[in-house]
Amino acid sequence: MSIENDNIESLVNRTYKHGFVTDIDQESFPPGLDEKVIGAISARKKEPKFMLEWRLKAYRHWLTMKEPEWAHVNYPPINYQDISYFAAPKSDKDRPKSLDEVDPKLLETYDKLGIPLHERAALAGVAVDAVFDSVSVATTFKEKLQEAGVIFCPFSEALINHPELVRKYLGTVVPPRDNFFAALNSAAFSDGSFVYIPKGVRCPMELSTYFRINAANTGQFERTLIIADEGSYVSYLEGCTAPMRDENQLHAAVVELVAMKDAEIKYSTVQNWYPGDEEGKGGIYNFVTKRGDCRGANSKISWTQVETGSAITWKYPSCILRGENSVGEFYSVAVTNNMQQADTGTKMIHIGKNSSSTIVSKGISAGKAEQSYRGLVRIMPQANGARNHTQCDSLLIGKKCGAHTFPYMEVKNPSAKVEHEASTSRISENQLFYCRQRGISEEDAVNMIVNGFCKEVFKELPMEFAVEAQALLNVSLEGAVG
Amino acid sequence: MLEIENLKATIAEEQVLSGLDLSVNAGEIHAIMGPNGSGKSSLAQVIVGHADYEVIEGSVEYQGHNLLELEPEDRAREGIFLGFQYPVEIPGVNNAYLLKAAVNAKRKHQGQDEIDAFEFLKLAKKTMELLDMDQSFLNRGVNEGFSGGEKKRNEILQMAMLEPKLAILDETDSGLDIDALKAVANGVNSLRHSERAIVLVTHYQRLLDYIEPDYVHVLWEGRIILSGDKALAHKLEENGYEWVRTTVSS
Amino acid sequence: MNQNSLSPELLQKAVHSLPEDNLSNMRLEAADRFSNMGFPVKGSEDWKYTDLSQIADLTSQWLNGSMQENAVDRENHNTKIVKSVTDSIDAHWIVVRDGVIDSDITEPHGTTIKKISAVNKKIVTGNDAMSVFNAALLRDGIHITAATPLKKPIGILYIDGPSSVITQNRAIIEIEEECQLQLVECCLSAGIGKQFTNTVTDFLIAAEASVNYVRIQDRDFEHTSVNRVNALLEKNTIFNHNGFDLGGALTRNDIVTEIAGKDALVNLNGLYLASAEQHIDNHTNIIHTVGPSTSTEEYRGILSGDSQCVFNGRVFVAEGADGTDSNQYNHNLLLSERAEIDTKPELEIYADDVKCAHGATVGQLDESALFYLRSRGLNLEESQRVLTHAFASGTLSKLAVGACYDYLTDLLDNRLELLVGAAG
Repeated sequence: MSIENDNIESLVNRTYKHGFVTDIDQESFPPGLDEKVIGAISARKKEPKFMLEWRLKAYRHWLTMKEPEWAHVNYPPINYQDISYFAAPKSDKDRPKSLDEVDPKLLETYDKLGIPLHERAALAGVAVDAVFDSVSVATTFKEKLQEAGVIFCPFSEALINHPELVRKYLGTVVPPRDNFFAALNSAAFSDGSFVYIPKGVRCPMELSTYFRINAANTGQFERTLIIADEGSYVSYLEGCTAPMRDENQLHAAVVELVAMKDAEIKYSTVQNWYPGDEEGKGGIYNFVTKRGDCRGANSKISWTQVETGSAITWKYPSCILRGENSVGEFYSVAVTNNMQQADTGTKMIHIGKNSSSTIVSKGISAGKAEQSYRGLVRIMPQANGARNHTQCDSLLIGKKCGAHTFPYMEVKNPSAKVEHEASTSRISENQLFYCRQRGISEEDAVNMIVNGFCKEVFKELPMEFAVEAQALLNVSLEGAVG
Repeated sequence: MLEIENLKATIAEEQVLSGLDLSVNAGEIHAIMGPNGSGKSSLAQVIVGHADYEVIEGSVEYQGHNLLELEPEDRAREGIFLGFQYPVEIPGVNNAYLLKAAVNAKRKHQGQDEIDAFEFLKLAKKTMELLDMDQSFLNRGVNEGFSGGEKKRNEILQMAMLEPKLAILDETDSGLDIDALKAVANGVNSLRHSERAIVLVTHYQRLLDYIEPDYVHVLWEGRIILSGDKALAHKLEENGYEWVRTTVSS
Repeated sequence: MNQNSLSPELLQKAVHSLPEDNLSNMRLEAADRFSNMGFPVKGSEDWKYTDLSQIADLTSQWLNGSMQENAVDRENHNTKIVKSVTDSIDAHWIVVRDGVIDSDITEPHGTTIKKISAVNKKIVTGNDAMSVFNAALLRDGIHITAATPLKKPIGILYIDGPSSVITQNRAIIEIEEECQLQLVECCLSAGIGKQFTNTVTDFLIAAEASVNYVRIQDRDFEHTSVNRVNALLEKNTIFNHNGFDLGGALTRNDIVTEIAGKDALVNLNGLYLASAEQHIDNHTNIIHTVGPSTSTEEYRGILSGDSQCVFNGRVFVAEGADGTDSNQYNHNLLLSERAEIDTKPELEIYADDVKCAHGATVGQLDESALFYLRSRGLNLEESQRVLTHAFASGTLSKLAVGACYDYLTDLLDNRLELLVGAAG
């Protein structure tokens, strides 16, 4: 204990601390999306021809699709022609070859975010790929990873250097037609991260991407593809922030994970996009499709997420448990305060024999926020011996918020065991008074109890992320009680 | 140290204290006895500032200042500790974390440097040794799944760590078997100090076999109607509370 | 308009063919509304797993007059089945055949039982498509006002017979202040063949009153039914309900309870036993509009053959409904390779001073319990039978109307024998 707790106190901030705008020469496309814009994005990135065709196909299908309405969220209609689909720092034209060449102003931005690329990366042994608006600006530790045979690079670079790998796996987990936002992403994605871990390799360090939306009127459509070949292991961290702006910004990302036989992928997210102000003005619409495919026997995919930001979150990191004995995990903490809305959860699709999944979801709702857990556990007829355990708890703070649970369980195999438990509670007056009698202020007591409520999930996060996550939680619940 | 005069208080419009006087000095141990519903726990809750209780008359001075105007956490930071009759469970929050936060809140309040994790653990371990407590206590959730005895011992541990000037122990003996009672009593005795006052709120005399009080008060319908030394407790045990009432009224 | 719509002209014609009475306006209005709605379409959230398109087809054919009359066993229809129920369960029985209420109703003291057409009150029709459809084609229904508690329960026996293919049943039950009512409802079939019954039952429970309501559905395996129960609870009331679904090809129940007064208590318990191609869908909705109030719910299901069952339990806690205490459980046993259960216990909560818990399980008989029984000399099949019975009989321990205990035990025993036997 305690070392982290010390850090928390020092990390706690009064307001959204990532809400600065970086003054940097930006180049962006005029708003709107059509085949020409897609062509321009593709050309700009010197993509192979198959990619452009893939994008256009997705785009044409997207035109026939309708925005989903089933989620428990409300927002005014989005005009997809008002969004600019590409923004990049101008100096991108001569891309940095190493960290030393990265625009110092950018590095300063990451410093403000609390991720100095030099020190933090070096200290923690984390390789960071930072995506600034739509373009990947710096990837550290490339050499060390190369020695191990690990490919970790911006998506656009992977398309140039490893087109055969991208082509083999892209869209095989989340097909372009999967859903409205996935189709939009497939058509217009600008960059993202690509990871390939070769057979039998345990990735020597944790890989990390930091996403940041900086430009105004910009959508961020990144695409992440991670392939863990047979017997390999990788832990991947993703963090997100955005500046404070009055208008809403769209973030529609797609993440695809492929775990082959005996491989394991651990994917952790701390999402802290700007949530909008107290009246609900501004903030990010975070409409994300994340899915992992446990393709081989004994493979494992574990999603851990801490969602504190965004005005609206629509996100269901899922696992397709195809391999025998494959394992899917979903650990989630979602915090909504003020006017935030979140509809989040997971899908576990059991196909392989003896596949098992664990879902632990902790939702905290405060202010006038609305939060829903939406989960699907589907046991297919061939999934003999499949197991699922779901634990889904909500904590309500205040009288105006909502907390909802929509767990779907579809079981088509008699040897399956599926269990779902859920509870809803609030912080009791007795607990608060007990803490106050020990000299702890009400606000600290609330933070303490909330962190305790989320402990099961935090322990799944890598150490540094756990510290950050707890701190974020406290910031997010600022003013929720009293 | 603590001067209570003519204290009257209500909870949900019902009067629970009706003109109580009590004076406690540093170094003393006071036992407050009385039948169920006589106002023992109410007195403890009013002193620590529970919001459900409303003081309608009288005064409480603590170290020469008006105690009633302080928030509960400030009373705690000024050195008032309540051992709860029913210690609250706080799932997921570990004991060590709560304790360290409490110790540091107090240190900060008193202008001292906060202690770091390392020092804290050293101190906690030393205190636990003194109280003959298992170290695994530290890593468990606050009172989560504790037995009755464990909860009460945990209260004593917190008291020892927080080094209060005024400790009020509300029915610390209730629900304990004889071994647990001895352990708790030993803990309290080891915390006797010339600078510290201890107020024991109890229904039964048996706790007083292990912790010897300087004064015994009998509480009846929200007032102290009889005070004496520890012999009074034995008399009570022999004759029951009815006896006090008839003695006092005659 | 959707693919599950009916021809408005044919529907109007059918409405006009019913006798002119107090309900005529309601029927016409409802027919109009239904023409704009159509039957629910599979895939919408409330009908995600249940497909009514067969019912829509059947209704269309029936309206067209192209339906053949079903096979009839007149003797059974008239006496045997009615007697089998009324002799076993001691109650004040009302018998409804094909939506037609038997005329020999005796009113127990302190209770009025009338035909809805004879009650001079505006009938409120729900907004869901099946309630509107019910109002459009309703011949008549039962209106009960309970003012004094009775020793015996009131019984309603619905028999789907051969003479009508599409049947609407409706009951409105008002329980006056401080009164207690026991009600048993049995839904049986007298004929075989395709038959669709659509039933709506309303309970209006005045302050301090209580209702114990048991519903037993054991229809023919070709019959389909949609059944809706609405209960409105005023302050300090109790609504106890047990639903037993054993028969039917396709059965859909919607139990909607609204707590409108403080300190009300809702207990919903259900058991569904499905085999062969049966499809049983239970949707429950407990709405806490004020608090403090309490609800508990436990549904159990045993599935074998190619059956599919659905459980959707919703608990809604409105803003300000502080002091709500709710728990909800759904447990399922799958006995065959091809059976499917889709379960969704949902919570929608807008108040913070609430205690809500829910859970669902899908699994098999406990291996260690099976082993224990076998080690005591029972063979595997016997052991399975014992444990399956134990799983089902859990719901009998909470039976709200004692008078039907024996009848139900026999029914369940026979049904479980078939289920366990067919599972292997």
